Formats: sequence, structure tokens, C-alpha cells
Amino acid sequence: MNLLLKSSLYTLSLTALIFTTSCTKTASDKTLKFGVKKSETLIVNLQTEPPSLDWNKSTDTTSSEVQGNIMEGLAQFDLADPELKALPALATKWESDKAVQKWTFELRTDVKWTDGVEFDAQQVVDGWERLLNPKTAAEYSYFLYNVKNAKAYNEGKIKDFSQVGIKTVGKHKLEVQLESPMSFFPSLLVHHSTYPVRKDLIEKHGDKWTEAGNMVTLGAYKLMKWEHDEAILLERNDAYFGEKAKTKYVLGRMITEQSSAINAFDAGEIDVIPELPSNDVSILKQRPEYQKQNGLIVYYYGFNTKQKPFDNLDFRKAVAMAIDKKEITKVLGQDDVTATSWVPKGMMGHEEEMGIKFDPAKAKEHMAKAGYADATKVPKITITFNTNENHKKVAENVQAQLKRNLGINIEILNEEWKVYLSKLKSKKGYSIFRMGWVADYPDPDNFLNLLTSTSANNHTGWKSEKYDSLIAKGVSELNSDKRKEYYKEAQKLVLEEDVAAVPLYYSIRQYLINSRVSGFKLNPLDEKDYKSVMVK
Amino acid sequence: MGTRIEIKAQTMITSVPNATTAVSPRHNSLWDESYKRLKKNKAAVISAYFILFVIGVAMFAQFLAPYSFDTQNVERILLSPNAQNWLGTDSLGRDIFSRLIFGSRISIAVGIFTAVVSLLMGTVYGAFSGWFGGKIDSLMMRLVDILYSIPALVLLVLAKVTIESLETFKDPELRALFSIFGALSIYGWMGMARIVRGQVLQAKQMQYIEAARSLGISSPSIVMRHILPNILGPIIVTLTFQIPANVMFESFLSFIGLGLQPPYSSWGVLANEGWRSLRTFPHLIISPGIAIFLTMLAFNLFGDGLRDAFDPKTK
Amino acid sequence: MGDKFSAFSKNHILDIYKIVMGILLATGFVVSVIGVDGMLTTILWSTIGALLFAGMIFLVIKQHLLPYLIKRFMEAGVTLLVIVTLVFLLLRLMPGGPFDSERALPAEVMANIAAKYKLDAPLLEQYTHYLGNLLKGDLGESYKYLGRPVSSIISDTFPVSLQLGVYALILSYLIGIPLGVIAASKHNTWVDTGSMFLAMGGVTLPSFLVASLFILIFSFQFQILPPALWEGPLYYILPVVTLGIRPAAIIARLTRSSVLDVIRSDFVRTARAKGLAERVVLFKHVLRNSLIPVLTYSGPLIADIISGAFIIEIIFAVPGMGRHLILSVTNRDYPLVLGVALLFSVLLVVSNLLVDIFYAIVDPRIKLAA
Repeated sequence: MNLLLKSSLYTLSLTALIFTTSCTKTASDKTLKFGVKKSETLIVNLQTEPPSLDWNKSTDTTSSEVQGNIMEGLAQFDLADPELKALPALATKWESDKAVQKWTFELRTDVKWTDGVEFDAQQVVDGWERLLNPKTAAEYSYFLYNVKNAKAYNEGKIKDFSQVGIKTVGKHKLEVQLESPMSFFPSLLVHHSTYPVRKDLIEKHGDKWTEAGNMVTLGAYKLMKWEHDEAILLERNDAYFGEKAKTKYVLGRMITEQSSAINAFDAGEIDVIPELPSNDVSILKQRPEYQKQNGLIVYYYGFNTKQKPFDNLDFRKAVAMAIDKKEITKVLGQDDVTATSWVPKGMMGHEEEMGIKFDPAKAKEHMAKAGYADATKVPKITITFNTNENHKKVAENVQAQLKRNLGINIEILNEEWKVYLSKLKSKKGYSIFRMGWVADYPDPDNFLNLLTSTSANNHTGWKSEKYDSLIAKGVSELNSDKRKEYYKEAQKLVLEEDVAAVPLYYSIRQYLINSRVSGFKLNPLDEKDYKSVMVK
Repeated sequence: MGTRIEIKAQTMITSVPNATTAVSPRHNSLWDESYKRLKKNKAAVISAYFILFVIGVAMFAQFLAPYSFDTQNVERILLSPNAQNWLGTDSLGRDIFSRLIFGSRISIAVGIFTAVVSLLMGTVYGAFSGWFGGKIDSLMMRLVDILYSIPALVLLVLAKVTIESLETFKDPELRALFSIFGALSIYGWMGMARIVRGQVLQAKQMQYIEAARSLGISSPSIVMRHILPNILGPIIVTLTFQIPANVMFESFLSFIGLGLQPPYSSWGVLANEGWRSLRTFPHLIISPGIAIFLTMLAFNLFGDGLRDAFDPKTK
Repeated sequence: MGDKFSAFSKNHILDIYKIVMGILLATGFVVSVIGVDGMLTTILWSTIGALLFAGMIFLVIKQHLLPYLIKRFMEAGVTLLVIVTLVFLLLRLMPGGPFDSERALPAEVMANIAAKYKLDAPLLEQYTHYLGNLLKGDLGESYKYLGRPVSSIISDTFPVSLQLGVYALILSYLIGIPLGVIAASKHNTWVDTGSMFLAMGGVTLPSFLVASLFILIFSFQFQILPPALWEGPLYYILPVVTLGIRPAAIIARLTRSSVLDVIRSDFVRTARAKGLAERVVLFKHVLRNSLIPVLTYSGPLIADIISGAFIIEIIFAVPGMGRHLILSVTNRDYPLVLGVALLFSVLLVVSNLLVDIFYAIVDPRIKLAA
């Protein structure tokens, strides 16, 4: 037996030895993955594998973060401008005719793709054709529906793309014909779905055209390596037409779990964390690496106006008046901004004096007016939200507030994300729902269009012809003062008069940024622009 | 193929004893002796008391907890343990001590209820399969094999999401709980079925069963009155091991965001809310961690004790 | 035990084969931990693969296993077909489709997407279409990672999971078996109680707690190990140890009780009485026989490691398949769910088959009959 015991002990200690020796190997090695030097590399956390770098097809923020740094659109947003107007990028200038229905774009003549091919107007047309082609099945194809015949082409009713209202005039000029007037059309061209494409390369490589080695772009960085689900490496594009990037490499890691990302941050494995776990914010806030920025995001509660008791206007008013938004932001503890208008702070159309004020006394009056003087007579109310820590906190708080201020009992019901979405689609089984909207482009139309009667995102069941016409007027108006008036009226209608929804707060974006990083400019659109970033 | 599966199922719970080999039917001496042996095992006895204690806490949670599990206090967020909140408060200002006590209710309920459901399903299925043998047996076991080859996690996730999306209960808590029960039972009964079937197969060979058969006693009656009592030992042992496994699975479901949702509290929920904050607010995780640890330990030690007690071979 | 086995041992080719395989596997293990790339590794692993294959063929012929194998493979085929059907149906039962998102899409766009992915076809047609492609070895394209075939997602991430799993498996044997033997040989002493208590500890905490505890201690208290990522031996340690603890504990307990059983058995007494050298008795008789239940447990063990790995992968940001297992379901990425489920099932079925075959090698009493 002793022999067996001895050999067992040997095996155990040998195993322990192997582990301890590998432990003692020092981690001071400054060479990172892909063999790049840390002193030349900005390390960011992309959080997930970019679902697709194909800019016609992708719909998520991770992909667009990478795309935005390796590509350029015809326009870009002026992040210094309070209204975030569109500035020239690949286009040098644009103008529209009087009716705001025909736009012409002059394009840069000095741009080369990373394989040396010259950029021209045809590549923009190719990109739009691909976006609208039904075979691509791009989710963002509706972005260009206002281009003449674009919708018909996307539906397959027109097979000939030359009938669609975009054409080249010479090598570096574009002419776009719209279905109806649209004042902010250039803003759409900032979006990745409208970037130019290299049709030749897509035909050559098929779906693999976005792989490292195949991918050809024209932005400040180029895609060097892409190890799926693990890391992505961008390298400075020395042939970039604008100001060259200051840091040679950007290494994007894909750490999904937030607490793991913070661990990695503290171990020096990543420099920038774009999202913080809500529980720990109160502690992380005190760190010198903490930075925050208002985002163009509205978080709202919508009422299902098709169901009792929310079919009653007075009841909706009562509920809206009984919610103290300040308490919600306090519970969240993230310094989010309490919401007033539908359009968030930091862009055109935002109103500081808008929406229903917290007033529990008046709320009770409205309750009585609605016929529910006795709170126990109120039909069952459910707040639904998709399973998530913050949504849960908000729902629980609103539940407590309505109990306190109106005496009504409310059920809260969380659903798994996709179940939740299909429930919203069916418009059944909920009385209050939560949703958020993040700006696709910083124009009030992007936010307010959501509540029109034709919008698929309008889950309230509320419809108003007046509202629809105000929004339509706003789209075609060039004068921004007049636009603001339309949008103010529209928001008053939906938020104060009809109370179809209550914007609760505008989300804040929170970062941890390592002190060796400088020049990382936060902005309301959350565009992560690496080219001005420097590392030590 | 059949025999090996059975061995596998047995070894999974560290060689379940063959109670059948040593026992004659309707004899109390086995139980008496087992009980005596169990009483001598100090660790098992202490564990048993601890388990009873936890069950007691779970049953009388309303009376024991100083606060409700969902009372929020915005002014008292994320406090460390103090005089008012013995174990501190969470991010909504809820008392962790109370949540832990209420949490024991759901965790223990999930553990026991699911184990019992799997036990019933598994025993009926396994006994049926084992007793009839032959074609029926191989067909039924084939089905178990197939289900067993679906990775546990895939099966759990699919079953959980599907069951929860069926509108089984109006109350969201019940619906979530039911889906957890359902998903875990769907997974749990298979192991039980294999073990029971193996035991029945063995018991069938026994002489007294042959005797009972030749006396013309009906099959259900033989199974119920002669076979089941004799294989009760291994079944109970399996049950004791399945309870902690279920509690653990519940916490895994919470981890992947498919568990019970707060404001309701279970140990899995608490552990999941807490582990991310180990570096910032360790009090969030320490108490549920210790509760899970001790309870798991107790169930395992008790299970070991039971197994040794039923199996005269081990000393 | 016997005759057949001594007959085997006389066969020098087999002995040489065993030794060569042992050396090669050990080298392969070391090389893969250190992370040497290039020709050497390729040659090494292909040699191992070829030898293993040759060994299997030899075994199949020698033991007349061919009919048995054919039967098992056919059974496996049926199993997989049932699994695919079940998962396929379960997925369609779930509410919510793959392309529902925060931004509800206009009906025209949805129609294009449905047409592209054939989601507008009748269910039966979708099913037969999927099966048809599956037979051709095509697992389809992910709905989430647009344009990326499921097979490439698997081939990108699975090797990492496999690496993690195999290391954890090896570790759990390396710790579990000796611990169990020690406990058994010091039966009823404090060593026994202590090691069994240690083993008990390994199964009593959810792995995400163990993981975060380890990170706290080794990454931040002592700062010797990185808390996340998968970029070299140093990074492997925490995830592998965390994943290996549970199976190690189970193996230790199994080994202990099994060694105790064997030591008391008649044939060991006989072997000793025959005057065989203690070394031979212990290693050839006691250890070999007591490892049989441990070996049979490997099937469930591998399953355990597979389903345990995803938590470890998420916490330590290991770029394995784990996250796809969960995310694909929540995304309703049908082809990916099916692909992942299928892969894991194949893995389970194959590992069970291998365990059964190995079982027959160690214990010649077992006949693998068709």
C-alpha cells in the first residue's frame, strides 16, 4: 500500500509543481496579442464579437464602432456643434434644390482605398444598390426609402436600378432625387449603411469580403487581424486622406461580462471600458479613470392606450403625474438626466419645459375624474420590461411610487428579450412597457417618427393625424426655427395633451479610461473615434 | 449496452449499494440497522439537523425575517452590515438578511420539489421499463439515452425559455418558478429512471420475486409491494444528492439570466447579484455564498451518511 | 483478470505502441501548453492521430468489434436525428423570431429577410431543407453573425473550448486519482477525512463563486495570475483549475471508494497469496481494477465539463463556444443553436462510445456484443 501512496503523493506534488512554476513566469511582457507593442497600441473592449463588418448589413453598435474607424461616409457629424449638424467627409459639399427634393453631392477626388484604387461616385451608387437590393436583405434598407423608387426596388417591384433616384454625374458627383422633401437627408449619409462599397471585391470574395486580408477600406485605420470571438487588430492607414491617426494600433478585445472587463482593466489588459456594471457605479465613480457623457438616448414608459384603464386620458395623466422622475434616476445612481421632452438633451428639438410635472395631489384628482376615486377598483395593471438589472430597478421603483402616490397595486413582469418583443408586437398583455431609443442620426425626426401612426415602433396604440402631419411638415422644412416649432407642437400633443408615453430619463454613458490614454473624446453620439487618441 | 449504462448511472452517485442483495422483503431490520448506523455517523447527524434547520427557516420565513424581501429603501443603498441590517443592504436598499431567509424558501423548494418530481417520473418510468423488460425496456431506455445525449445546458435553456413562454400561470413569480421546476425536472428524471430500472432488473432475478410470481400475484402489486420497498435505499440516496444539484442548477440559471427574477429572492438570485461585486461590495456575496456552501455540504454529508448506512459493506 | 491480459502483455508490439503513444501524448500536452506553433506541432499531432487511428483499427479487428461499432454508429445516427428534430421544434415553439429587434423593421424589409433565410416557407419544408443541407455537411449560416457559416463559428471557437476542457479533464485526473488513493490507503485517519472534506468542498460552491474568489485572491491579492483572457499558459491556469475542481472532487471520491472495494476483494488476496510482488499487485491489480468505475464515469464527466465550461468561459473571457450556447438561444439564432447542440451531442455520444471501448480494454470480462 505504501508504494501506491508514495506514487500518488509524487503525482500530486508534480502537478502542483507544474502549476506553481508556470505561475512564477512574470507577466511584465509588454508585447500584446498579435505581437504588437503595448506602447503603440490602444486596447479597447468591443464587448462582443462584431456580428458583421459588412456595413450594408450590420445593425449593432460594436460593428459600427469598428466600421466607423476603418471607413468614412459621405458626411460626418460636427461633434462640436450643439445641434450636431452634418459636415463634409467623403463629400466636399452638397446642396438641394428649392423643393428640398433633389440633392447634389460633390465628392473628394483625392481619396484612395487601402488597395490603391481611387474612390469615385460609382462606388457610392454601388453601395446604395447593394443596400436596397432585396437579395441583400439589409435591415437598414429603409433608411433610403425616401429616395425615389428606392422602396419599390427594395420590395422587388422594380428590377432596374437605374429607375432609382441616384445617379453619377461625372466621376465625382452624385445626384439624388427624393420622393418627398427631406431637409436632413445629408445626416443619413453619415450612417454606415450608406457607405460606398467595392463591388468588385464583394463579387470576388463573397461573404468573406470583410475578413482581414480581404477587406479594403478608406478610413483612418485598416483591418489587420480578426480572430473571431477573440480579438481584432486595426493598424493606422498611412494613405488616409485626412489627418493621420496618432496611435499605430488599436486592439479590440471582446470581453462580454462587465465585471470581467473591469478585472481586465485593473490588470492593465484593456484601456477603455465603455459600459459599467450598475451595482458598482457608486464606487467606480470615485475613481480618477471615470468619465461620463450625456447620450442621445431616451428611456421611456409607454402606455397601452388600447387597454383598460389606460384607454382613459385622465387615468394616463394621473399615472404620469404620480411618477417622480428624480427618484428613478436616484435609484439608478448613475447621474442620468431626468427627461422632459421626447427628444433628448443635446440636440435640436429638445425642450427643457415640456411634459407632465410630478404632482401627486393633482394626480389623485385626475384619478377621480377617470372614475377611479377608489384605487382598489382600478383594473389590473402590468409593467412589462425585458430582463435586465436596470429595467428591473426602474420598474420596481415606479411600482412603489404608484402605490405610494395613487394607492394602486401594479404587477411587474419581466420577459426574456425576444418574448418581450413579440409581446409588444401583439399589443396584448401589458399596460405599461419600457423602451429606449438611441439616435441613429441626431435629428429630431429620428426620435419623433417613432410615435407616428405608421411606425412599427409605436407600441402605444395611440394614433393622431395631427401628429403625423406635424412630423411630415418637419421633415420637409429647411428652416430650423420653423422645424423646432413643429416638433415642439408635436411633442406637446403626445406628451402633455394625449399622454401616450412618458419619457423618464436620458441615459448617461459611463467610461473607465486608463490614464495612459489621452485624447479619447466622449461625445453624445458615442462615436468612438480612435484617430485622435494617444497612448503612453 | 444495457448493463453498462446501468453501471454508469450507479457510479455517478458513487456506487449505490445493492440493497436487494442482502435484504428480504418486508423486514424492518434493514431500516433499524441502517438507522443505527446513520446515528453513529456524527457528520451525517449534524448535517441532518442543519438541513432541518434550513427547512424550518424556509417554512417560517415570514416570521423570521425582519423585513420583507422586496421592501426598498432608497436612502439605505448598499450598506455594509450594521445594527439595522445585519447582513447589509443591496443596490435597492433591501435587507439582505431578510432576502436570504426568504431566498431559502425558494431554493429549498426548487431543490426538494424538483427532486421529488424527477423521482416520481423516474421511478414510474424506470420501474415500468425494468419490469417489462425486453423490447419495451430497450425502447424506453433508448429514449432516455437520446434525451441524455442532449447537452444538459441546451436542454435546460430550451426547456426553461419554452415553458416560461407558455402562459401557465398569471402570476409572474409562479410562472418563473414553474418553468424552473419544469426545466430541472425534465433534466432530472432521466438519471433516476436509469437507476430505478437497473435496480428493478436486479430485483427481478431474486428468488422471492420468482416465488411471488408463481403464486400468481399481479405485476403492479409485485412492483409496488415487493420491489419498490427493496430498492428504496438507493432511491433515497439519489434523492439526497439530487436536491443540492438542483439548488446548484437554479443558481446557474440565475447566472445566465434565466433564473427567477427579483424582487423575488432565491440563493441563486442573491449569489448572482453578488458575485460581480466581490471586489466592491463583498457583503453582497459572502452571506449567500456561505449559506449555499453550508447547505450543499450538509446535503452531501447526509447523503454520504445515508449511503453508508444502507450499504452494510462500507464501514 | 488475467489470461487474456498476460497474453496481451507478451505482445511486444503492443507494449511499444503504448510507450510511444504515452511519450507522444505527453509531448503533445507540453507543446500545446507552451504554445509552440508551426510544423512541429502539426507533425506531432498528425502522428498521434494516425497512431491512434491505427491502434483503433487494430483493436477493432482483434476484438471483432466491427459489427458492434456499426450498430453503435447507427444508433448514434438515430439519436442525433431525434435531437435535431427536437431542438428544431423547441426553437420554433419559442416566441419571438431571430430578426425581432429593438428597432421594429418595416414589413417590406422583414419580407426580404424572411425570403432570404426561407423563414417564410412552411415549417416542414424548412425542416427538410435543414436536414438536406445537414447531410451535405452544411450547418447553414448564422442569423446573428451575418454571412458567417455556423461551421466556421464552431471551428473558430470549439478548439479553444476543447483545449480548456481537456486541460481540466487531465488536471482532474491528476489531482483526483492520487487524492482518492491517498485517502483510501490512509483509510479512517485524519488524512482520509481531510482529503474527503477537501473533495466535498469542490462540489459545494457554484463555479462562478469559486471563479471570482480565485480572481480576487490570485489576480488582485497576490497579483500573480491574469484575471481574464486566453493568451498563454499563464492565462490558462485560473480557468482550468476552476473548471477542474468539481470533476477532481468527484473523481477523488469515486477512486477512494473503489480502491477500498478492491483492496478487500478476494482476487487481491489471492494475488498476494500467490506471492506476486507487491508492486505488481498494487499497480496491476488494485489500481487497474479500481480505476474501472472511474473510467466509466468519464462519459458523464465530460458532459459535466462541457456544461460547466461556459460559465468559466464567460467569467474568464475565454474565446470558446460557451457563450454561443446561451446567446444563440436568446438571439433565436436557429442555425447556430442547432449546430452547437448537434456538436455537443456528437461529442457526448462519441465520448460515451470511447469510454465503452476503453472499458472493454481494461476489463476483458466485458464483451462488446452487437
